[in-house]
Amino acid sequence: MKKKYAMAYIVDRCVDCKACMVACKAEWHVPDEDFRTHIDTGKSPDYTDKLRLHFLPHQCNHCDDAPCVTVCPTKASYKREDGIVSINQKICVGCKYCIVSCPYDARFFNHELGVAEKCTFCLPRIAEGLAPACVTTCPGNVRVFGDVNDPKSEISALLRDAAEKHYKVWKLRQDLGTEPNIYYVQK
Amino acid sequence: MKSKISRRRFIQGTLAAGAAAATLPSLSLVAGEVEHSTPSGITYAQNWCEMCFWKCGLTAKVVDGKVAKLEGQKDCPSNFGKLCAKGNSGVFQLYDPDRLQKPLIRTGERGSGQFKEVSWDEAIKYIAEKANALKAKYGPETFTLFAHGSGEHSFVDLIHIMGSPNICIPSYSQCTGSRDIGWALTYGKPVGGKEPVDSENAKCIMLLGRNIAEALHVGELQDFINGCANGAYVIYVDPRYSKTAAKSNKFMMIKPGTDTALLLAMINYILVKEIYNKDFVENYTSGLEELREHVRPYTVKWASEITEIPEKDIIEAAEKLCAAAPHCYIHPGRRLTRYGTDTQFVRAIAILNALMGNWEQPGGIYRPVPLKLDQPHMVHDLERVEADRADGAGTDFPIASTDLGLANKMMQAIAEQKHPLKGMFVYGCNPFHNQGSTETVEKAIKASELIVTCEIYMTDTAWYSDVVLPESTYLERYDPIIITSRKSGYIQYREPAVKPLYDTLGGWEIAARLSKAMGYENHFMDVREYNKEFLDSIGLTEANMKKHGCLVGAEGDPFPVASGAEPEFHTPSGKAELFSSMMSDLGYEALPSYEAPPMPKGDEFRLLFGRLSFHTHARTQNNAWLLALHHSQVELWINSERAKNLGIKNGDDVCIVKGEKKSNPCKAKVVDYIHRDAIFIPHGFGSVSKMLTRVVGVGARDSDFTSDVTDPVSGSAGFHNGFVKVVKA
Ligand code: SF4
Ligand code: SF4
Ligand code: SF4
Repeated sequence: MKKKYAMAYIVDRCVDCKACMVACKAEWHVPDEDFRTHIDTGKSPDYTDKLRLHFLPHQCNHCDDAPCVTVCPTKASYKREDGIVSINQKICVGCKYCIVSCPYDARFFNHELGVAEKCTFCLPRIAEGLAPACVTTCPGNVRVFGDVNDPKSEISALLRDAAEKHYKVWKLRQDLGTEPNIYYVQK
Repeated sequence: MKSKISRRRFIQGTLAAGAAAATLPSLSLVAGEVEHSTPSGITYAQNWCEMCFWKCGLTAKVVDGKVAKLEGQKDCPSNFGKLCAKGNSGVFQLYDPDRLQKPLIRTGERGSGQFKEVSWDEAIKYIAEKANALKAKYGPETFTLFAHGSGEHSFVDLIHIMGSPNICIPSYSQCTGSRDIGWALTYGKPVGGKEPVDSENAKCIMLLGRNIAEALHVGELQDFINGCANGAYVIYVDPRYSKTAAKSNKFMMIKPGTDTALLLAMINYILVKEIYNKDFVENYTSGLEELREHVRPYTVKWASEITEIPEKDIIEAAEKLCAAAPHCYIHPGRRLTRYGTDTQFVRAIAILNALMGNWEQPGGIYRPVPLKLDQPHMVHDLERVEADRADGAGTDFPIASTDLGLANKMMQAIAEQKHPLKGMFVYGCNPFHNQGSTETVEKAIKASELIVTCEIYMTDTAWYSDVVLPESTYLERYDPIIITSRKSGYIQYREPAVKPLYDTLGGWEIAARLSKAMGYENHFMDVREYNKEFLDSIGLTEANMKKHGCLVGAEGDPFPVASGAEPEFHTPSGKAELFSSMMSDLGYEALPSYEAPPMPKGDEFRLLFGRLSFHTHARTQNNAWLLALHHSQVELWINSERAKNLGIKNGDDVCIVKGEKKSNPCKAKVVDYIHRDAIFIPHGFGSVSKMLTRVVGVGARDSDFTSDVTDPVSGSAGFHNGFVKVVKA
């Protein structure tokens, strides 16, 4: 079967330490001021007895129906067979349509190269059999990456376990029909 | 005598601990092994991280002679493959053009920032001549040292050679001194730098301002998060809702300064209800009856009024802990330099732990597995100076560590000049930020005739120094192999990933050159030669270390008491001392009492400071990758109601004011989850050195506003009795 790469965040484990952000920057020479992944802070109303702040990582969702791919006039942004949404920087003209169209704010303009940039699911790394840089470094072991079409992968096991145990599992803005490939899991 | 251990024995030593261990696959001995094939142009070098002091094992990937990436050594027990944001940013630090690149000698006034670049020979000769003249005039005790970091022993040994006992490792008086003393008085040994709390297996955890998620040490955080995921009930006590609070089941906002009151009431409640671990307390502790009597006045109602924590919450915390005992712990803390009463505070923590009977129990306090190996000495024929110290460690403060000294009292002694302390050496630390009073540091600097700082950046202290010696970073140098103990004992290896980028040297080579130029004859070993000799003695080679980076040499049982061993305590009574006989003998209160600290008045706030997850001390603030994480903004937390009264809105620029002093602007973070009495700022900002180009003048320097009180038992500093006002910028 074709591969379908995806990532899950076990959000209860995230402490907003931002190691993922810096590991990604180091791995991919992301310009000093920019990051390919971020951590948002969510609030729930009652902090005295329940979690009030929770930390929610985000990055490119590698959507199955990706608006950035649809709007790209040069086809520099494209969806790969393995599910990864990629940017061919050689033909990107830096028009920024994709940046504006992404409902997740996952893209930014790389001023050094004059092209759009975002998370690649660490494509060259995973081709070498390594985990993505953010996954490798995460001290909280929040991030789980793999092929959801492979039932033996860690991510498939996690999603199965989550379904069995009725953990809360969601994706971002599913109402938009973008079919994102990042799962949020809360135990 | 050197023990000769063959490689086989070294590994067997790991297995000898028990039958269960004997089935360990030999793989567990191999940490951080470089697995991937190495295409041409790519090499790997082993190291331990020096971005904070936890020393995570790491492997540097070097592509075409440039460090491309740092990754954690997979099985190094300090970090199991992970690095934090600081650790990852070590690459930026290495290539940061702001680094010190040449030795410097001051040409203008101190603090003017006027220096000339000189050769190493010139710098060394200059220091040697000045130092020898000082020694001739004032005697050898004139030299003081403040040193911290993996290379600290190079300068420690140098100052011993020069003949002075006045050596300070600020991590004692400015950080863990009170904690380790308070713990040792109770249990006969200090907590130690790798806190042996077993979060992973804990059923209940209580943290009093121990902000594990932000004062981030990878291994400690991993254990904690695993503990949370395994269902530990986490009680987090702090005037401020930190990121650790976000992981807690119960956040208790405490009035700052009143933690001991909370603990004493919990102890009282537990004793009255008789819900303590009777077997342990009756058999292995001393002083139960004295304790019972002593805490009688400390009722839950009384504590609730003082701490502002509801009575039911105090009771619930006590009951949750007792229900989980012995698989629970109350964290002994780390930087315990708060109110000048910190030793007694830790005593209360230690006593509460003892009531849980969690000694060497899963989920409680574990016993670090030692790896005992004879190490060679970097300096031959070194005679340690045993004379009385100028800071009072060992005399005015009889139980303060004379090895680590009292950096706070030493700086005061230099400022006061009751003894002629004229030659200040600084290695890897920054008194302008780590002392409670920058005025004292300024006075000390004025009083000194020679100030030498060895650093990688032009810190505020370097900026005021006479000679600045640029050290090679951890990625450019060898250091002597270190031995670390957690639930196993292991050795860690450091080798350069690249040659020094600039005209820098490692601390050991600098100390050796200084020693020689001053005319001393002690032989300093070359670090590589040292490592070789050490490895030889345990049957290993440099190649083993290059491959593995970290090797586990001792496995063992971290919970011997749970396995049936008798608890052992090296205290005068041989028991865990609820009533401290040593304190009683020395004339201190043998049982902790609540002593209210001074409180803020009117429109004052108590200034609290601490770490962010992505900065260490005052060392990493200038790192562009880390600065980008917070857009170079320094937040000042302020309670929403108090802010409203002052007309301060979220995001406003605000300054801290105390008397004539006013800080640089910070961004107001107006929240209802910090106590009304307090403001909080991150430590390490507000530098004045213009060679920290990205952060000079950015944010407030807490040490300009903190208190510098002294804990009467440990001699350590207390910073949190500083009272300030907040104004709009
Ligand atoms: S590294 Fe992991 S724990 Fe840290 S912020 Fe990223 S996802 Fe969260
Ligand atoms: S998968 Fe790779 S590129 Fe994407 S956020 Fe993680 S480290 Fe960055
Ligand atoms: S905790 Fe972070 S900064 Fe400290 S040694 Fe580990 S990776 Fe380095």
